[in-house]
Amino acid sequence: MAIKFSGEFEVKKKPEEVYDFLTDPNRFAPLLPEFQSVSVQDPTHFTVKVNVGISYIKGAADLKMELAQADRPRRAQYKGQGAVAGGNVTMVAGFDLAPIADGTKVNWQGEAQIFGRLASIAGGLLEPLGKKQIQKLIDGLQAALA
Amino acid sequence: MFAEAPNIVAEEKKNGSGRWVGASLPRKEEDRLLRGRGKFVDDIKLREMTYLRFVRSPYAHARIVSVDTSAAEALPGVVCTITGKEVAAQTQPFIEIAPDHAQKIRDFPMAVEKARYQGEPVAAVVAESPSLADDAAELVQVEYEPLEPVVDSEQALLDKSILHEEAGTNRIWTGIWEFGDVEKAFQEAAYVVNIDRMHFHRFSSTPLETNVVIGQWDPKEDRIHYWCNNSFPAFAIQFLAAHLAVHIDRIRVQTSDIGGSFGIKITSYPQMSVCALASKKAGGRPVKWVETRSEHMISSAHGNERTFRDTRVALDKNGEITAIASRHIDDCGAYPRYEPLGCVIYSQVFCGTYRFKNARIEFTQTVSNKCPVGPNRGYSRMQHLWFLERIVDICAHEIGIAPDEMRLRNYIRTEEFPYTTPNGCVYDSGNYPKMLEVAKGLIGWDDWKKKQADARKQGRMIGIGIGTTLDSGTNNFGQSQIVNPNAPFSGNSQGANCKLDIYGEVVVAVGSCPQGQGHETVSAQVVADVLNIHPDMITVRTGFDTERNVHTGMSGTYASQFVVSGLSAVHGAAQKLKAEMKRLAASVLETKEDDLEFGVGQQGPEIKAKSTGKSINYWGLANIVNVNSAVLTPELQDVTLNCRYIWRANFKVPDKAKKYGNLTLTYSSQLHIAVIEVDRDTFVPKILDYVAVDDCGVVINPRIVEGQVYGAAAHGIGAALMETCAYDAVGNMLTSTFSDYTPITAVNIPNIRYGHISTPSPFTYSGAKGMGEGGAAPIHTISAALQDALFAQGIFINNSFNNADSIFRSLKYREGGQLAEQVRLEKR
Repeated sequence: MAIKFSGEFEVKKKPEEVYDFLTDPNRFAPLLPEFQSVSVQDPTHFTVKVNVGISYIKGAADLKMELAQADRPRRAQYKGQGAVAGGNVTMVAGFDLAPIADGTKVNWQGEAQIFGRLASIAGGLLEPLGKKQIQKLIDGLQAALA
Repeated sequence: MFAEAPNIVAEEKKNGSGRWVGASLPRKEEDRLLRGRGKFVDDIKLREMTYLRFVRSPYAHARIVSVDTSAAEALPGVVCTITGKEVAAQTQPFIEIAPDHAQKIRDFPMAVEKARYQGEPVAAVVAESPSLADDAAELVQVEYEPLEPVVDSEQALLDKSILHEEAGTNRIWTGIWEFGDVEKAFQEAAYVVNIDRMHFHRFSSTPLETNVVIGQWDPKEDRIHYWCNNSFPAFAIQFLAAHLAVHIDRIRVQTSDIGGSFGIKITSYPQMSVCALASKKAGGRPVKWVETRSEHMISSAHGNERTFRDTRVALDKNGEITAIASRHIDDCGAYPRYEPLGCVIYSQVFCGTYRFKNARIEFTQTVSNKCPVGPNRGYSRMQHLWFLERIVDICAHEIGIAPDEMRLRNYIRTEEFPYTTPNGCVYDSGNYPKMLEVAKGLIGWDDWKKKQADARKQGRMIGIGIGTTLDSGTNNFGQSQIVNPNAPFSGNSQGANCKLDIYGEVVVAVGSCPQGQGHETVSAQVVADVLNIHPDMITVRTGFDTERNVHTGMSGTYASQFVVSGLSAVHGAAQKLKAEMKRLAASVLETKEDDLEFGVGQQGPEIKAKSTGKSINYWGLANIVNVNSAVLTPELQDVTLNCRYIWRANFKVPDKAKKYGNLTLTYSSQLHIAVIEVDRDTFVPKILDYVAVDDCGVVINPRIVEGQVYGAAAHGIGAALMETCAYDAVGNMLTSTFSDYTPITAVNIPNIRYGHISTPSPFTYSGAKGMGEGGAAPIHTISAALQDALFAQGIFINNSFNNADSIFRSLKYREGGQLAEQVRLEKR
């Protein structure tokens, strides 16, 4: 099942600063909901461990992330894939940055595909839950960049 | 020595003819099963038993990058693991029934390079306990590369994403059935009705007992022993022998009590393979696999999903159908397995209960990234019968003929039986107008019509629907040659053994695998009539066992056939035994065979000389053959009192090129009528009244037949209104638990009133016709009733699954003008 998300926000930081934040795994990854740890393989690859739990399906998930597009200071896009409790997830998340008078406008969009038992059993819950978690991530990003 | 004294209750129920056949005896099995004394596979405990758990693909379509079992193997208590690659290295792919390119499909019991449906086994863990196996399975790490999934048969035909690259296409098989002069019929038609698309949904069976296998590969003797609940083991071992490269006679299969199958358990042979291979790796220790409910839902087998495109129906000015042309696209899931047999099995009921002579059906089957299909109660025929019933109702509404009258104008006439269909099948007997008359009487047709008219004035949506269906039983395996001329099967057969045991007990053994159909009871009724004794004096051993020597290559329980194939074999074996007993008794009692009468005396079952009054009981007869044999005269040396009989159907191989020939021996029929109201606020369809009328010829045990009619009706009502194997766009199965699948329960089953007529089959020794599958009559009936309820709103029912949500959507789309024109009438 697919969960699509998109939105925009503004921060009072230059696009270069926003870009550098978004593409630094050690600063970006801890903002992911239920973050546990991050391990950086190289400048464009890292693995994040997060907790996942819906109803009785609970466990840790390793998400392998790749910085697939890096166009400083205009666009960054992540692709991720991982095994979560009872299923698998693939995701794409992109950030388009545009300078505005007193900072940067961030347009964000993406899609997560959930596969397996998680989707079969918790399908109806996933979309609202996923959107809630994404909102947490965006709120965290805004706070960190404030 | 003998069974208990006759049961007085049963005695009272012996029917008026003085025969046990036809009596409503309680089932012999019930006492055992209802008291929890049945023996199911999971009850079997073996020394050094190990337990297997599968690791399954979460993806519908993905390349397997790596499988790492090291963490699982390091867990204390884990005996071994096994992966798809290991399986492929040791085995041959399963036999493919389809010809040509589909022969190239490499089907193994676990995914090797690719996973092709969500829930496909990728690896398995064997451990000392089921819990350890569960824990270890979670430690297996599998890396996948997701691929584009194919979840729709018409999408599959585009071949944009191909499941089996070696085959080069998702199309498994295509065949054209064309009979009569279709074009001429359309040219001469008074009306032509065009129906763009109809769809029969995917649903399954939910037996109380899921699949269970114990496999043990004896490394010293190179023999495999299975204890399992596969319902067609004679077929399974043919697949397994070639796949495991073990001589078929070195595979022993035993079944015991089975908690339901409905056909779905026929296709458990992939799991049987893995259990044997895991046992071999575990040093010959027995390996038990017990399927969980959600495993059953996502990966055992589903029923076939079918789409009907571009249907055209020609009718004359009286509303008689003169021709049908259509394209059928069947979705068999990720692997064909038992398919494409469904591509020809549908044609057992090619014209349904109707008389049209001209037809052209183009039938194609595709694979998709969904659970493989398997025979499911009403296998392949119910989809086609639903299609025909939809045609009849849609045409009736379009040209303004009442649905009951439309049927009467089109039914095969009673005097035309035995009736040869356009494709050469021979319907043995039937009386469809009589069934309609009985059903209308039962439901109070005229009263309901008045109530419906009054209700409509109040704005209520009430529909009355009729569904006529066929339950074709005892199939001719020669039809497999229509899909593949090289298929090595034809005819049909069943074995049975009837003997006097060493001390005179009458013992019957049959090669079937009953799952609640009452084979013990009806076998005893047949033998009781042959020997003129009470059924309680007969012990019936059911359950398949290759070492019992009563099976043939077609033994099992499927295709509504036991009453024909199984009981014919039992009857034949009993007659052979009776003949031997007569010869022996005539010698001992010093009289002629025609002076003897069979019955029950002071010392139990006996044979008596009418002329002298002298008698010998069964113990005495058996004793002469087995213990006191020195008194046996030379001319009686061949008497064993242990008689095996193989019954064979009188079939010929069909004409493969013309797709013409008799595919089935008997045709039971059912006619259901439902009254349904769709709530105007919630759109929930509610059954207000329901009747089912059955004709299965001569009835061996009315109580059992009635029970099977109720069971099949419940299954069909569930399928029509509640049960669907729903997938999302990427192949996630969304109904993998009972909470989501919502199988029908006693709470949802309406009060079904039952009626019966009997048109004996001229093709069976008893006049009985196979039944039990039911032909999915409720699906046809409920679709018809819903259409009657919603036709005024401009709705045609073109899907077999209809719940409140789908009805709501149809009505809203229609209101918003978004529903494409589904049906078009041409008046000539």
